[in-house]
Amino acid sequence: MRAVGRLGGWAVRVGVLAAVFLTAEPPNRLTAQDSQFGIRGLGTPGKSESVRARSTGGAFAPFDAFSPLIEASLADVHRMSAGVTTGTSWRSIDAGGATSTLRGTRFPALVIAGPLTRRIVIGGGFATYLDRTFGVITHDTIDLRGVPQPITDEITSDGAVTDLRVAAATRLSRLALGLGFHLITGSSRVIATRRFADTLNYRTSSARDEVAYGGAGGSVSALLDVGHDLRFAGWFRSDSKLRADVSGRTVAENDLPLSYGAGVLWRAGAQAGIAGSVAWQKWAGAGPNAHDTFNWSAGAEIGPGGSLFRVGVRGGQLAFGVGTTPTEFGYSAGLGRQFSGGRGRLDLGLERLERKGSGLTERVWTFLLGLTVRP
Amino acid sequence: MTRRLAWLFLLAAAACTEEPTAPGDCPNFCPGGQIVIHDTIFTDIIERDSSFSGYVASFHAAAAAAADLPGVQSRPFFLLRAMITRVQPRATDTTTVPIAIDSSRLRLSIVRRDKNATNLRLRLFQLPLTVDSTSDFASLDPYFSAAVDTVNVSAILAGPAIGDTATIRIWGDTIRTDSAGHIVQIARSDSAVLVYFSLDTLRAPFSVPDSGKLAFGVEVAADSLASIGIGTNESVTNGPVIKWFYHYSVPDTLPAPDSVAHDSSARAPSFDSFVFNPATAALDSNLTVGGVPSARSLFRVAIPKFLHDSIDVVRATAILVPVDTVQGMPIDSFGILARPVLTDLGGKSPLSTATSDWAHVVIHTGFADTVRIELTNMVRTWVADTTRPTAFFLNQSPEATSFTEIRFHSSRNPALRPALQVTYVKRFPFGAP
Repeated sequence: MRAVGRLGGWAVRVGVLAAVFLTAEPPNRLTAQDSQFGIRGLGTPGKSESVRARSTGGAFAPFDAFSPLIEASLADVHRMSAGVTTGTSWRSIDAGGATSTLRGTRFPALVIAGPLTRRIVIGGGFATYLDRTFGVITHDTIDLRGVPQPITDEITSDGAVTDLRVAAATRLSRLALGLGFHLITGSSRVIATRRFADTLNYRTSSARDEVAYGGAGGSVSALLDVGHDLRFAGWFRSDSKLRADVSGRTVAENDLPLSYGAGVLWRAGAQAGIAGSVAWQKWAGAGPNAHDTFNWSAGAEIGPGGSLFRVGVRGGQLAFGVGTTPTEFGYSAGLGRQFSGGRGRLDLGLERLERKGSGLTERVWTFLLGLTVRP
Repeated sequence: MTRRLAWLFLLAAAACTEEPTAPGDCPNFCPGGQIVIHDTIFTDIIERDSSFSGYVASFHAAAAAAADLPGVQSRPFFLLRAMITRVQPRATDTTTVPIAIDSSRLRLSIVRRDKNATNLRLRLFQLPLTVDSTSDFASLDPYFSAAVDTVNVSAILAGPAIGDTATIRIWGDTIRTDSAGHIVQIARSDSAVLVYFSLDTLRAPFSVPDSGKLAFGVEVAADSLASIGIGTNESVTNGPVIKWFYHYSVPDTLPAPDSVAHDSSARAPSFDSFVFNPATAALDSNLTVGGVPSARSLFRVAIPKFLHDSIDVVRATAILVPVDTVQGMPIDSFGILARPVLTDLGGKSPLSTATSDWAHVVIHTGFADTVRIELTNMVRTWVADTTRPTAFFLNQSPEATSFTEIRFHSSRNPALRPALQVTYVKRFPFGAP
């Protein structure tokens, strides 16, 4: 009787927590880090990583239950728990000598998980699949009615494609298996505005619409413990086409990638862990400016369980960009601190990324804040 | 710990300021879709156009044209209201006594003139009291032979302004005058030139049988550019006004003798209008705007379907080709107002009062260039609301204040028919990468 009451209390608390997170921002604001490279593609692929994983360069993502990268790691969740990630980015762009600075705050991921039975853990949440938030301003002079007319075009998109995940995991001795179903959904509010310098004769043209995105996917993953200190991870994911609808009419369909990867975690004693991971995504079929990507990461987590220091480094390629495949390199660090007797954990992280492609270099500072609660 | 958490979340909330927009480095780092603009002259979408006459007559106009130009003469005239002939000197006594007119002062307002006109003169003629809306140039012409008075406005305006304390007290502002007692004053409110004629009883005879009614005609003359506008009753403040100055005897009780009292009273016209020669030509197959009585032209626009769908109109210009040069002096240039109709009932269509949808253009006399009227707001309204009738009227602004008019080629002339030039932006291809 007492156990039932306690479970009910947890469920209520987690439910309230999730409701607060979900209603604080609408789903199309649950976006990750933007990039100018994604403008000519489907968007900027999000990072399915918690603050803990981001602080280690992403290397711990396959082994972190609150990183929505793989499902098998949910098998390590023994109590109903929830984790949320937020990030504020300051991004500088250098395009052909012209620089500009952008900023944005995002809520890239939320994971809620808890045991269904002794062996099966279920979880869910969302993560950014493709960020579709950007704004572009261009100035030009066009010939209208035989007269040169200076114009300013502004095209903005505000929204994202979100990966809503329902996942289950089970542990079979040293092997943990995970299965996930992904509903890919979202929308972006898009506005295209043309302003004329000659406001006396020409009116501003402004077109706005909402693009709805839809798709689905499935994923499988596994964690294998080899001895007490070594853990391997592997995952595979396949997604359908991404359908873009405007006013109920499908205006585009693009292939979404096959994704797979692997990782390894080594527990170097009770107070240190070192991990590395590699991932491939077959984005090349998603459009004319899409590229297959390979990404790697390495990181470490040091300290006693209640207070952790993390560092990491990552590199790889970006899925979208005109010409050669853009590259990304970054390093990160962070702190984690448990509180309330281990029922909560606060994670802070700082990440520096540099992306390079044909004619454009992006440098990003991101401050990350994560909260994990085990009521 | 709770306090720390609160601070952290406050920090995060404070950082929630977005700046996602950057200068674009196109085409590599801009969206694949482009804002595409088109400019098309639709030569055949203005159809079923026609002209209608009789909207505003000369006696309803806010001004009356006075002109003496090669090929056209125009003369304003007005009939002054009846004047009292007797007064009641005492409030407590119903006995009335006759008044004796001493003099009068007639005010005319020049609301439109060419400042380059030299030796601008106004001549005042007395007309019969029978003048009315049926009077025409020919019937009144015989009365324009012996001027009651003449004033040289240019000469007075060239003189010094008188602004002593007594003048300001009486007139409210500086005045200019001549040896004959004419007064010219520039109105502060609208810069109209107010011309005062001082008339004795010979030039403005007070006829008791006619109750003091008088009719005058005005003729303008100048070395050149002899074309002005005289304000009428319809202008509210600039109409002709005559002020009668009179005296009367106040019968007193014995032993005091009768005393004499002086007073004045103003009268505005009961009717004013103007006649001109040659008269406005009858409507023809062309599209007429202006003239007296005023003519308006109705244009019906068959907006193509594709302009309704997924199009943003950024500029729309009606292109109209005049049949001939507009007659008159530069000061006779006039405005044309384009107003959409609320319901298409032909010549009696009610017009929209939404001034934001109106368009205006100035027609310069002496030119026969193509007239372009910016109808952007009007067409944008039509495109946004497909239930509105896509038709508009052109009328002179103000109407019937002058003999000037313009005639455009209509859709009956395929080579020179009205056209609509539309600059539009096609729908942005949202959703495509």
